[in-house]
Formats: sequence, structure tokens, C-alpha cells
Amino acid sequence: MTNSFAVAIAVARKDLRAEWRTRELVPALAQFVILALVIANFGFQIDARNAPSIAPGVLWLALVFAGLVAFGRAFAAEREQASLEALLMTPASPVAIFAGKALAATLLLVGCEVVLLPALTLFFGTPLTVQVVAAVLLATIGMAALGCLFAAMVARVRARELLLPLLTLPLWIPFIVAGGQAVQVAMGASGSYDQAMALLVDFDILFLVLTSLAARFVLDE
Amino acid sequence: MSRYEKAAAGAVALMLVAGAAIFLYAPTDALQGNVQRIFYLHVSAAIAAYGSFAVVLVGGLIYLRNGSLVADRFARAGALVGLVFTTVTLVMGMLWAKPIWGTYWTWDARLTSTLVLWIIYAGYLLVRRLAEPGRQAARFAAVVGIFGFIDVPIVHFSVTWWQTVHPGPIIVNDALPPEMLATFFLTMACTLVLAAVLVVIRYRIETIADGAEQAMAQRVQLVGSREPEAEPVN
Repeated sequence: MTNSFAVAIAVARKDLRAEWRTRELVPALAQFVILALVIANFGFQIDARNAPSIAPGVLWLALVFAGLVAFGRAFAAEREQASLEALLMTPASPVAIFAGKALAATLLLVGCEVVLLPALTLFFGTPLTVQVVAAVLLATIGMAALGCLFAAMVARVRARELLLPLLTLPLWIPFIVAGGQAVQVAMGASGSYDQAMALLVDFDILFLVLTSLAARFVLDE
Repeated sequence: MSRYEKAAAGAVALMLVAGAAIFLYAPTDALQGNVQRIFYLHVSAAIAAYGSFAVVLVGGLIYLRNGSLVADRFARAGALVGLVFTTVTLVMGMLWAKPIWGTYWTWDARLTSTLVLWIIYAGYLLVRRLAEPGRQAARFAAVVGIFGFIDVPIVHFSVTWWQTVHPGPIIVNDALPPEMLATFFLTMACTLVLAAVLVVIRYRIETIADGAEQAMAQRVQLVGSREPEAEPVN
């Protein structure tokens, strides 16, 4: 158990170090989300009146598509160097390797959220509260587990750019439903924040358990 | 006439019987009029879709456990048939919704989750097409089929979990007159038979396709192994 944990941490550190040295993904994602906000501004004609009702939607749209890019890249380097096979040939368990990759990708997406949430507050004037951050982070956990599972799956499939969004987006919808409600309430809409957060925790647990069970079949291939 | 043709003819005949019951036996709804007759096939198709996706789930689980090709072919067949029945459910629902709700579509929990269900299993079939045929496609599809099934209970309980405009569970609530209930159960039984027959026929098609692919692979291997001999030795 401790061994698997150490493997996961080591894989995550390797990915994060690679990102730190190249500094490719997080700046690209940050620019991507800022652009998404600019596009939303022109698409919706944002003003002080309509911003609170539009901002949550823009937040999730930007986050979902940034997430797809982040998780799509999670296995890109391994594929280009054909190093995933080497990783899997080590005695380390595939589940631990998967957990490490997922952890690193999650942290990179959180890095993108660090840009997205303040930018949303700056440009849309919506509050940046603990409630908003907590809802986004809780959704990120489950979305990352699913996103990484499917990213690992499509990494060796021909049309991976087509398949990843196709597989991931429908299964992310529970998180958008609950997270969307939580953020809307936190930004001033009526509804139950606690209920939405409880639902997010439920979905997180469900999908963490399922992905850890399925990871073996996906990576072993 | 082969076994499969007989089964198909039987299933079509049963659906005609159900159609007769829907249009000739079942009474006209006092409030909705004839539009209400859509209900029988709409709900039956939804149940048939659940059943087909359950075949995908079980087939996927068995395949991941022991690599059974039979289980994988049943999963493939179930996904396609389930997708067809989900399409029927959605289209019939929209046709009903236009006169009753005044719109074909509304972002209601049940409608949305059913649409997501459709997208998930359309994705399942795309994975089968895009992944490398054989072990890879089967394994990946099994995982998608297992994850995708999570949406089935969400669709089913969406009318009780969320506030929706979609009618609730009227059958278990005993809200139908006996003639309507009888018509519904007849239609449901016939639709389930139709779904089962479709799955079996699709299973047969998948088996033939697998056999053709194997024969092709063997021929390629044979040709490949003969080549070095044909090369002139200088």
C-alpha cells in the first residue's frame, strides 16, 4: 500500500517537474481561459446586470474545455516518447501509475483555475468566495479522475482528439449539474448550496472508486 | 425461412398486435385525447433501452473478467439496440410534448439525462469503431459501457429526485384504468420481445463479422508467410 502511494507520488512529481521545466501546459491553459472570457463578453454583451447569471455558465464552459485539453495532454508526452510501456513494465502497479498521472493532471488543472477564478471576478464582477472555490475544487476531483481514465484509454487510439471529449463530456455532466448549482447559489441565485455540495461529494466518491477499479483494464492494454 | 427470419416475423407480428391494442382497444384519454396513445410505446421503448444497456453492462463485466468473446458480442448488440430504442423514446416523447407542453424540448432532468444516455452509447459505438479492433476495442468499450450505465438509474429516478415537468411513475402509482394498464403491459411485453430478437439477430451479425475478420487476418498471415519463399535467392 505504502509502496503504491510512493509510486503515485513519484509519477506525479515526474510529471509536475516536466511541466515546470518546459512551462507549456499551464500558460497555454491560462491563455485559453482568458480568451474564453473575452469570447463570452462579446457573445453575451456582459454588463453589471447580467454578469451574475452568465458568469457560472462561462466558468464551467471554460473549465470543461480547459480540462479536456489538460487531460488530453496528460499522456501525450508518454505517447510521444513511448515511455508509458516502459513505465508499465516496472513492477509498480498500473493503478498507482494511473493515480500519479491523474494527480499531476489535477494539479495542473488547479493551476489553470488559479487564473480562471480571479479573472472571472475581475472581468465579470462576481464574488470570489470560499464557497465558489470549494465547489470548483470538489468538481475538479471527480472530473479529473474520469478525464484521466479516458485520456489513458484514448492515448493509444487513432482518433483520440475526437474520442476524448465524446467520452468524457457526457460523464462529466453530473459534476456540471451539481457544481453548476453550487456556483450559481454562491453567486447569488436561490437554491440549496449544501445539497449541491453533498451531491458533488457523492459523485466524487462514486467516480473515484469506479475509476480506480477500471484503471487496471485501461492501462494494462 | 431461417430461424432468424421467423423470429423477426414473429416480433413484427407481435408489434402489430400491440399497435392494434393501442389504437383499437385502449380508451381515448379524457384530457390529452389521442396523443396519449404515444405513452404506450414511449415507455415500453425506454424500458427496452434500459434492458439493452443492462446487456451491455453485464457483457462488459463478463468480458473484463474472463475475456469471453460471446459476452463482448452481446454487449455490442445490446448497445446498438439500446441506442435505437433510446432514439424511439426521445422522438416519441418529443412528438407527445409538442401538443401537450407546447414545445418539442425542455431542459428537464429526465429529458436531459435521457439525451446524455443517448450520447454515451453513441460514444460507445464510436469507441468500437475508432479503437483497434479486437482486444483493445472490446476492453475500452466494456469500461465505457460500465460507466455509462450509471446514467440509467439517473434517468429512471430523475422524476423523483428532481422537480420535473415529465409525468411521474403513473404505473406503479396505480393511476391508470385497467384497459390502459392491460394495453401498456401488452405493448411492453411485445417491445421487450422485439428488443430481444433484435439483440439476438445483431449478435449473429457480429459473430459473422468477427469470423470474416479472422479469416481475413489468417489469409494475410498466410500470404505474409509465403513471401520470403517467393523471393529469388541470388
